[in-house]
Amino acid sequence: MVADRLETRVGVALVAPAVIGLLVLNYYPIIQSTLYSLFALDSTTDWLSAQFVGLRNYADVMQSDQFWYTFGFTVGFTVVVVTLDLSLGMLLALATFYVPKRMRGVLRAIIIVPWAIPKVIQASMWRWMLNSDVGPIGDLLVRIGIVSEPPLFLVDRFLAMASVVVAYTWKGSSIAAFFLMGGLALIPREVIESATVDGARAVRRFFSIVLPIVMPTVYVALLYRSQDALRVFDVIYGLTGGGPGTTTDTLSSFAYTAYFRYAQFGRASTYAVVTFVLVAAVGVFYIGRVRRNFSFKE
Amino acid sequence: MTKAQSAHVRTVVSVLIIAVVAVWSLAPLVWIGLTSIKPLGTEYRMPVEYWPANPTLDNYRTVLGERFRIQRSVLNSIVVSSGSVIGTLSLSTLSAYAIARLRFRYRTHTLYSMQIAGMIPPIVVIAPTFVLMRSLGLIRTYWAMIIPNMVYAVPLSSFLIASYFANVPFELEDAAKIDGAGTLRTIFAVVLPIAAPGMFSAGVLAFLGSWGEFMLANTVSIGAASVETVPVAVMSLSRAFELQWSWVAAGTVVTLVPIIVAVLVFQRTIVSGLTAGSLK
Repeated sequence: MVADRLETRVGVALVAPAVIGLLVLNYYPIIQSTLYSLFALDSTTDWLSAQFVGLRNYADVMQSDQFWYTFGFTVGFTVVVVTLDLSLGMLLALATFYVPKRMRGVLRAIIIVPWAIPKVIQASMWRWMLNSDVGPIGDLLVRIGIVSEPPLFLVDRFLAMASVVVAYTWKGSSIAAFFLMGGLALIPREVIESATVDGARAVRRFFSIVLPIVMPTVYVALLYRSQDALRVFDVIYGLTGGGPGTTTDTLSSFAYTAYFRYAQFGRASTYAVVTFVLVAAVGVFYIGRVRRNFSFKE
Repeated sequence: MTKAQSAHVRTVVSVLIIAVVAVWSLAPLVWIGLTSIKPLGTEYRMPVEYWPANPTLDNYRTVLGERFRIQRSVLNSIVVSSGSVIGTLSLSTLSAYAIARLRFRYRTHTLYSMQIAGMIPPIVVIAPTFVLMRSLGLIRTYWAMIIPNMVYAVPLSSFLIASYFANVPFELEDAAKIDGAGTLRTIFAVVLPIAAPGMFSAGVLAFLGSWGEFMLANTVSIGAASVETVPVAVMSLSRAFELQWSWVAAGTVVTLVPIIVAVLVFQRTIVSGLTAGSLK
């Protein structure tokens, strides 16, 4: 295909404003963050007059237990929440196909509500739900007789991890559900119905018939949700603040604290750049999958 | 089992499913709602009080009153989100037209640069963006939120709108040109109306995106209540009044009601936009 000269000129003119915006507010900051990470920056952002230290920030960070712990937590968190998001999301999506038509609207409306709530507010609501003195979750666990005292959800390290997972999944599963509904909508309704009614055979039908057909959607949703989980910030910041200690800090939340509480721009930037590399690694597969839409031909 | 019986079973199971999903999805909201009508101080009363003994609207009076004026954060969010949407739609309608309908040399580069930009983690851009906004003197102003948010939504919006532009038959555009309409008139009279639903969808998603954005808003407003958006204001409230959760709850309800209503109203638009923009 030979690009017409005039068409190129018009095309470039039309995309220029958007591309300039992206260059200034997305691409330039990435380069700048990477530069920060190569300098000894403490309590200043004036990298031009700071000492260039090459990869020393990275070497320091890589030798610290904190980094590997946070790295491991971020990846582990991603694996767990993406699995939960997609499984719960699939159940929610299938449910909208199972319920009779007259109830479908109500169910979809209920599922979309968590999606409306800003993530950090979602975290703050869960903090109140999980309050160890007067939170309903601890109280109900005591009443059912599972525990004798309300658990210290945000004080105990493992319970705090479980708490951020639950709070994140609350919204994540609703997002995943709507993605998967889109995939399921491409399958004839009778096929899905046969896989949601009558018991054991339904489960087998789901795995042998429905799942293979929606697999492409599941794959894209998996990549999409993984990127979101790897860069998670709001839920951590709002629910545990990374605590107890820094045990529920992700790369993003740890970097944010290092940037804006301790003004350690060099160190924080190494964490930020690592986050970017992780997300980009997943992104390579994601772009590989969505690239086929670039022609915009149906 | 007869057909009527199995339909009956299905109705009962459906109601159960809806009940379980409702508990999961709505419990935190219901709990916040109940807390917001408990008289200040009683929200910490033990044993846990599920239904407030003396429900009151005092907390709402407090958070809407002179001291907190939580409604100001809703207005700030409306300003920031609307401003971002206007910017996003202007930038992405132009780029979407080029992407979907023109064959030009840098088209593929543009597409890749947009896809990559769409997945950049906020943490890797936040510090330089803060420094940039500070050097432009925009800290503690709406602009420090509007300008970045408007750009952040460009990739998704461009793809969404482009997929609508792509559906306009080229013959239609050619016919308009043959009838003597100029390029601009053709675009405004023939092409744009067909892309309008896509623009609407993109606008709603961009609005919600910047409504919920926290990291940037928190960083550039630095405690200035006059520009704090909803997520930042609720966060400051819950940090500052840890022991007055009835207030925090009332503030949360006030800020959540408008956006929940909006999402329910635009449900269809949102869902179709989400799936068209990121899946296909």
